[in-house]
Amino acid sequence: MNTSAVTPVERGLTPRSTGTYPVLELRDASKSFGHVVALNQVNLSVHAGEVLAVVGDNGAGKSTLVKVISGVHRPDMGELLVHGSRISPGHPTEARAQGISTVFQDLALVETLDVAANMFLGRQISRWGVFANRRRMIAEAEKTLRTYQGNVPSVRVAVGELSGGQRQSVAIARAIRENNPIVLMDEPTAALGVQETARVGSIINSLRAEGKAVVIVSHDLGFVFEHCDRIQVMRLGRSSATRDVRDTTREGVIGLITGAVPGDDTRDHRPRSGS
Amino acid sequence: MRGTGGALVSIPAAEGHRSAPSRRRRMTQWAFGSAELVVALVIILFVLVGATQSAQFFDGLTWINILRNTVFVAIAGCFTTIVLVNGGLDLSIGSVFMAGAVGGAAVADAGYGNLLAFLAGIGIGAAVGLLNGLLINYAQMPAIIVTLGTLFAVRALAVTLTQGQPIGPLPNDFAAIGQSDFLGLPLLVYYALIIVVVAYLLLHRTMFGWNVRAIGGNRVAARSMGIRVNRVATSVYVLSGVSAALAGVLMASRLGAGDPTLGNGFELQVIAAAIIGGTSIYGAIGTVPGTVLGALLLSVLTTGLILLKVDPGLQNFAVGVVIIVAAGMDRARKARMFRTSTNVARERQGKKASDKDANR
Repeated sequence: MNTSAVTPVERGLTPRSTGTYPVLELRDASKSFGHVVALNQVNLSVHAGEVLAVVGDNGAGKSTLVKVISGVHRPDMGELLVHGSRISPGHPTEARAQGISTVFQDLALVETLDVAANMFLGRQISRWGVFANRRRMIAEAEKTLRTYQGNVPSVRVAVGELSGGQRQSVAIARAIRENNPIVLMDEPTAALGVQETARVGSIINSLRAEGKAVVIVSHDLGFVFEHCDRIQVMRLGRSSATRDVRDTTREGVIGLITGAVPGDDTRDHRPRSGS
Repeated sequence: MRGTGGALVSIPAAEGHRSAPSRRRRMTQWAFGSAELVVALVIILFVLVGATQSAQFFDGLTWINILRNTVFVAIAGCFTTIVLVNGGLDLSIGSVFMAGAVGGAAVADAGYGNLLAFLAGIGIGAAVGLLNGLLINYAQMPAIIVTLGTLFAVRALAVTLTQGQPIGPLPNDFAAIGQSDFLGLPLLVYYALIIVVVAYLLLHRTMFGWNVRAIGGNRVAARSMGIRVNRVATSVYVLSGVSAALAGVLMASRLGAGDPTLGNGFELQVIAAAIIGGTSIYGAIGTVPGTVLGALLLSVLTTGLILLKVDPGLQNFAVGVVIIVAAGMDRARKARMFRTSTNVARERQGKKASDKDANR
């Protein structure tokens, strides 16, 4: 039904040609789960051809941030802007249609289904509107994995039979295949070997070269300093500081993460009461 | 994916240079990995052995009887398979089957005609299925509890409304639907065939079917990737209710009466047929043909044991054994199919051992 639904791509964006507004912007987003304030008035912006890293300690709100942007959670407050216009995805499909592709931390793969079915999870190619066009999905999945050197033996193999690195390849290839202007990756290198991490790094570099806006959530500061342009530090549900990688050091970022170095956000850090 | 049991071995994983399994080995793995084939072989074997004891095993009438008994379990079973593959469970179908029979019979008995009788029965099934689906998916209650509740409640309601008395005898033109033959076979068999094909296409060929399977395999991933999980998982219960009620209306037509004592334990037979046919109660795995063969095996077994003059009390013993064996095979298949950590470790050890052998 929707292979070609993924073309907010050519909205006249070329690398670094961004005008005044960022491709993706989050303004004052808050999200609570019961009494836990996961996000507290968080701002974030990414331009085309830029790779933004989001770092922070466990429980800093990184994954919630990803889920708010990818449409899994709707923020309680605040707004999300893509190309300067406000969107309100209540569902991952809507976020995707607005140009946001996501690689989830848990990869969002179904172990019992084969690679081809996983590549088209939630966006199958149809025949006559109702039937699944397996032949085309298998062919497309093969093509995609060949392009991104997925290192996967066959698209007919169940994901449950693949190694961690191979699964990661499938999840990343799936997100990139959508060719959206905004790519979110939540811990893309967790549980990967050296070689596989390097491949993810080169994929990120090529996304930047294609003029995509990329957001990477990662614990791996070495990786972040090597592949990202800006670093946004999350702390206790707030974005405490944003630094250009050229203007900061690893120690500086660690200080911001742990709170040893005060961030730019000097507002009261206690979660607001009520609700 | 079923039948790719050998694929574990054929992955050129990080270690590389692992030789492809021999053709013969792959064939045997496929044979034991495929529940449908195993069930079909068991049926054939049972019939062949039975035929040495009783000539009736090759009697056409016996087989018409077997098929007629298979029909109801097969109709409901196909959609129970879809529920199970979706990671759900529907125990209410025994009562829904009866409610469909009684509801359809009441409408036919009142003279509203066959079409309305079927629509009434199906409507009851859809309503109960919708209630199940909403409670399970939106109120997030456990499927086993919700459908156990509706199993009791629906039966109690139907028994009270009918005061426990069967509705009938029903008009001849309504009874003809379930009692007539065509080309030597009961019409019921043709209906079942159509419904089975519909269920097959739905589960194995449509996008809906793939979404059902994805939800059964990993509900969180399915939601993250934008599948309307609650909507799909609710509709699956509606389909299950409709199919069970439709089977019930057909049963009322066949019997010429709507009996509120029908369908006691029907849900267990249906689930048994699905399990025997290779459907996993943990979701994601299962096929419509497997369930149809499972239903056929149950029917062949009960009829066959009567022909063999086995004590009727032992019939259910045989059914119980078959279910447990089927569940054991499901477990074994899964262990082989997926790369669990123990599997990988075992595989590595096996490989090292064979390397040593090769070096000698």
